[in-house]
Amino acid sequence: MKERWDRVLCYALLAIIAAPFLTMYVGFFLRAFGERMYLGILPKEFGFSNFRFLWEPIAWGLEQTTVWAALGNTLAFAITSGLVVTCICMLAGYALSRIEFRGKNFFLVLQLFLHAVPGQVLLIAVFFLLFYVKLLHKVPGVALARASLEIPLGIWMAKGFFDGIPWDVERSAMVDGCTRFQVWYRIFLPLVKPGIAAVFIWGFLFAWHDFIYAYTLLPGRVKLLSTLIQSLVATEVIDYGYLAALSLLYMLPPLLLFVFLQRALLRVPVFGGKGV
Amino acid sequence: MFREKLGRLALLAPFMGPGTLLIAFFYCVPVVLTLLIAFTDMGRTLQWHFIGWANFAKLFGVGARDPIVPRVITNTLVYVAGALPLTVIGGLLLAILSMRVHRGAGLFFRTVFFIPRAVPPVVWGFLWAWAFEGTPYGLFNGIRTAMGLPVVHWLIRYPMLIVILANGFLGISLAMLVFSSAIASIPRDLTRAAEVDGASEWQVARYVIVPMLKWPILTMTAWHLMSFLNSYVYIMLITGGGPYYATEVWALYGYHSAFSYYRYGYGASVMSLLVIVNLVLLLVVVRAFGMRRMLIRGKIEV
Repeated sequence: MKERWDRVLCYALLAIIAAPFLTMYVGFFLRAFGERMYLGILPKEFGFSNFRFLWEPIAWGLEQTTVWAALGNTLAFAITSGLVVTCICMLAGYALSRIEFRGKNFFLVLQLFLHAVPGQVLLIAVFFLLFYVKLLHKVPGVALARASLEIPLGIWMAKGFFDGIPWDVERSAMVDGCTRFQVWYRIFLPLVKPGIAAVFIWGFLFAWHDFIYAYTLLPGRVKLLSTLIQSLVATEVIDYGYLAALSLLYMLPPLLLFVFLQRALLRVPVFGGKGV
Repeated sequence: MFREKLGRLALLAPFMGPGTLLIAFFYCVPVVLTLLIAFTDMGRTLQWHFIGWANFAKLFGVGARDPIVPRVITNTLVYVAGALPLTVIGGLLLAILSMRVHRGAGLFFRTVFFIPRAVPPVVWGFLWAWAFEGTPYGLFNGIRTAMGLPVVHWLIRYPMLIVILANGFLGISLAMLVFSSAIASIPRDLTRAAEVDGASEWQVARYVIVPMLKWPILTMTAWHLMSFLNSYVYIMLITGGGPYYATEVWALYGYHSAFSYYRYGYGASVMSLLVIVNLVLLLVVVRAFGMRRMLIRGKIEV
């Protein structure tokens, strides 16, 4: 009996804390798909007029753009960043997992520290660095800067995946006359496909979600979806339904990517003791 | 000997080279550069001259004073003092509660509280700005209007509270996940034994679970202390530091000085103090936790 009351109390507390958030999430969806709101919160009918940015240009202030331009920019930004993170972390992760060298532990701890220091604090200096190497206001340059923020933890992730592969695989390849680089390229990369997918998602997702780097380092007319939504929020007249719909579109691609790559993520190689 | 070293370097270079270069370029150089720019008068034209300690003198109120600074410092203290306990205690509470209910329900509630971290910052900022909008078009004011209550100007009357909640629940989503996976790894025997001995739910939580979670709690506290000191993006998105500097925290002030008022030198001096605070905090963390322990993490990591 007592236990039951304890459990009811748990449910009640959780429900009370969750209620405002659930209201927010549900309200968000109602707002995105609702037309002609009743009392400002409940929709009278459902429709897709809030999604009109799909076929109309988006305007804020005196400027305008299309959602497709912003989507293209965001994709270019996030994919560049994801690829950079993947290449670098897969290389460094292998070395940190397999090759002994001095300063290895220091390097690994340093990565943890760097991950703890958010890049936002260094933004002023990054601004000038990019300015001097003439990459400021260019999508690839900013993507490179953004990618570097995810490298520290990405390296740890990649190292974890390499650590999971038995030494025998490598030894037999080396005996057969592979160089280190060939071992990495021919033997390991195919084996850590799930790791590649995970690290790529890591780099891609954070760049896709990024706001402050794009907002500060890209010129105002080159809009990513994040900065586009922010500039619509910052205008005088805010159409919340429209913004909710745009936010939904913004959140969709990472979800799709995750669903597509989930198979790769789950396809972890299975090792028998012999004959790999 | 030398040849062997060279061979080793040639072996390592293709693997470690690109990562080391990028990290050096975008982490190490910016740290030094921030400290250097802090001593210049770099402004809108990007011309600069070294001006010694003038920026810091202004910051500390020696000679020319910056009237905003005391306010910013108070804001930062209030913000961290509010958001940090909310994150750690709230995360712990939600983790314990959601591990006590049925499996499916626990998963549901954890998902609800993890959403803040899963959605992009801009969307989370938009959600809060919309929910607490001061007109009937905002979510909560819409509900209030529907119930016949007057409209409350949340973002003007309680800006700091809203900023603390919005950031605190972001922290909670990570802390809750870390704590609940740590709780899941506590052997059931321990809690069972305590229950058999007649401990109440509260006593089990207080004397069995919390002591076992010492390490995750310490990590999360240190982690979020730094995160709250450094982060300004969500505040920028929800209130923009306003109304009239009511939510302008230290890091946001640095950002605004540089990119809104184009006083890059001054902004860099604000940020460089933050960089120094970070370095000191990291040293404290290393002293407290030990280098070795940092390397062997896992088990309770998500």
